[in-house]
Amino acid sequence: MLNRSLRLILAALALGAAPVPSAWAEDVPTTPAAAASAPEATAPATGLDTRIQDTKGDVIRLNRDLLVLEEELLFPANTQLALFVSMDVGKLFELDSVQVKLDDKVVTNYLYTPAEVKALHRGGVQRVYVGNLRAGEHTLVAFFTGGGPHERDYKRGTTIKFDKGTDAKYIELRIKDSTAKLQPEFDVKVWQ
Amino acid sequence: MGKRLSLRVGAQRLGVALLACVCASAAVFAADAPPRTVQDPHYGDGLFHFYQERYFTSITTLMVSQHFERVSHHADEAELLRGGMLLSYGLHREAGEIFTALIDRAAAPSVRDRAWFYLAKIRYQRGFLPESEEALARIGKTLPKDLDGERVLLQAQLLMARGDYAGAATVLGALASSGAAGQYARFNLGVAQVKSGQEKEGRALLDGLGTTTLPPEDTDAGALPAEEFASLRDKANLALGYEALQNQKPEDARKYLERVRLEGLQSNKALLGFGWAADSMKDPKLALVPWTELAGRDGSDESVLEARIAVPYAYAELRAYGQALERYNDAITAFERESRDLDESIAAIRSGKLLEALLGGQRADEMGWFWSLDKLPELPHASRLAPVLATHEFQEAFKNYRDLQFLAANLNDWADKLGVFDDMLANRRQAYAERLPKLLAQADAAGLGGLQQRRETLAAELTQAEATSDAAAFADTQQRAQLARLAEVQAALQQAPADADPDSDTHRARERARLIAGALTWNLAQDFSSRLWEAKKALLATGTALEEAQGHQAALAQAQRDEPARFDAFGVRIKALGPRLQALIPRVAALQSEQQKDLQELAVTQLQRQKERLAEYTTQARFAVAQLYDRASLSSGTADHANKP
Repeated sequence: MLNRSLRLILAALALGAAPVPSAWAEDVPTTPAAAASAPEATAPATGLDTRIQDTKGDVIRLNRDLLVLEEELLFPANTQLALFVSMDVGKLFELDSVQVKLDDKVVTNYLYTPAEVKALHRGGVQRVYVGNLRAGEHTLVAFFTGGGPHERDYKRGTTIKFDKGTDAKYIELRIKDSTAKLQPEFDVKVWQ
Repeated sequence: MGKRLSLRVGAQRLGVALLACVCASAAVFAADAPPRTVQDPHYGDGLFHFYQERYFTSITTLMVSQHFERVSHHADEAELLRGGMLLSYGLHREAGEIFTALIDRAAAPSVRDRAWFYLAKIRYQRGFLPESEEALARIGKTLPKDLDGERVLLQAQLLMARGDYAGAATVLGALASSGAAGQYARFNLGVAQVKSGQEKEGRALLDGLGTTTLPPEDTDAGALPAEEFASLRDKANLALGYEALQNQKPEDARKYLERVRLEGLQSNKALLGFGWAADSMKDPKLALVPWTELAGRDGSDESVLEARIAVPYAYAELRAYGQALERYNDAITAFERESRDLDESIAAIRSGKLLEALLGGQRADEMGWFWSLDKLPELPHASRLAPVLATHEFQEAFKNYRDLQFLAANLNDWADKLGVFDDMLANRRQAYAERLPKLLAQADAAGLGGLQQRRETLAAELTQAEATSDAAAFADTQQRAQLARLAEVQAALQQAPADADPDSDTHRARERARLIAGALTWNLAQDFSSRLWEAKKALLATGTALEEAQGHQAALAQAQRDEPARFDAFGVRIKALGPRLQALIPRVAALQSEQQKDLQELAVTQLQRQKERLAEYTTQARFAVAQLYDRASLSSGTADHANKP
């Protein structure tokens, strides 16, 4: 019985001790650095892993080339119009949706997810529309819907007339906070 | 329920660890790198996806914008961001090249410091430790706070890797004690010290962790959540407890193991050890308390299985042989049932049901770790799989499998699109071929050459009229008719005989003709300047219109030459991309199948190990039962013998 007991104790020790040395690799939620950085000497990448990483790289590069082709084919630079939405601070306005009309025709109606709004708050700029436009004068009207100060529903529009030349045109619809008026402001920036 | 919870917590923790892998560089990068004011909207577009952790989309969007040179104001930042995301996907080589290039082209110090940091990390991951230390030493003072914390950890890991635990402890001392990173690093350092013979230091470190009562404040962004903190504390106490058991110090072991919570990831191991410590103190009655509790828990845990034979063992030690026998037999029955359950699970896994159930029919819409296991798959005896699914190895392999699934879907989408592009190009060629002759015919019909000649003739006439002040040249239709009629009248009057009589009709007619001619000349002279100006203006407008028309004609001619070449170029690109795409599709499918087999084998191997353990426990239990029967028959024999006269 003593022998068995010892065996059991040793087994228990092995079981109990296992998580400790293997803490790096097993179920310890290692810090970003630790998790990402178990060196290959201790956790060698398998052949399959390496091939998968290589394939990921190849697919990323192929996607780049395909996206370039798609853009050149569908939205050539001489007719391209890209519309962006950005938010500067944005504490006075909780964005729900944006509607954009181009020459009286609705080109996009976009409903935002909380993750997208958060990304805009952090400085991301969303390309909300890309399309083609003839050279000449055009009118763009954007409607922003959401919650304004004091949790009131808020809908505001902004209009701009612009000339489309033979280069790609980038227009940014900006949501800003007017600290003086304690109201959100919406304006348009024409990049080129 | 308990298992579900512990799996959830375990998976959550693993999720944290793995998400940390994915976002290791990216997340920390995100906290500091992007400037609030975006100077190129397309860079902001990359950030928009990045902040939503849509790294694949972010990388490809950024690469497209870099191709079109649309992120020139953020060239270095964009590269750093791309490198960080590639690193998070495990593309070390590409990421390393990006960081090296940034350093080589003398980017701004803040960019350079981050590039050195990521290089140090890559080198560490690849096992180039001295090179990693060298890169770490090159980091200046502009590293953001979050990354600086990571730098300290990396430095500590490097020091530990070369056995300098004292150095690592000093370095870690600089980290905030409440920070998650610091806590785990201290735990790992303590374990490493104990293992390397510096028991006193290691024990002190683990004891410090194991006795911390207050969880770190929630306000600290880098702090551990309370549950995670408590789990780490349990882990430190468990390590101390088993180390004491190993060193024959059961009283100490009980002291440490007592600190472990009754419900938690480590509780089963703690209860088991707690019992063994009592047994070492020759107190099987005391050991029965934790073991009985443990034996009643979910049998998918190894500690529980062991407790099921530890309980009868304790009864036997207490000489309660009847109860011991009964419990051993119960354990054998349970083990055999468990073993059959495991066979069913293994069969289900081998038939591909595990991955099917884990994916739940959902398509991965991004590459990377954006999935957490919060419930067990719908499979026979799924709770047996919990320990398998919670292993780092399985989670990493499953992440790869999901990534491959995403890549396969991505490539298939592109294959469809590329076909559409091809059709689109063919349609454009056809439309062009149909429209061009019509446009050319319209241009010919306009006779631009003749018009140009006519304009030149008119210009010459205008110049002549201006030089000779020929007001009649600008006469309007009515005036021209009047002039013609006047000329006829004057010609007729010239035919008439001269008549001196002023009252004669002829004389009066001549006088009237003279007056009319004078009035006409006067009117024409009056309008000369304005009509000359208008004629010049009209000539200029005609010239401009003609030039425009000629421009259009030239553009048409240019398009006639260029468009086919443009179509051809697109056609060549589509043709070149097609084979690349078609080569990748089977490659990804093969890897997916290989990864699936690997995953299944991983799970099966783990379950088979569980089966082996069960077999071992069953053998032990049978052996103990046999011993008990032997003892019983021996004592019965002795009693019979004693009763014999």
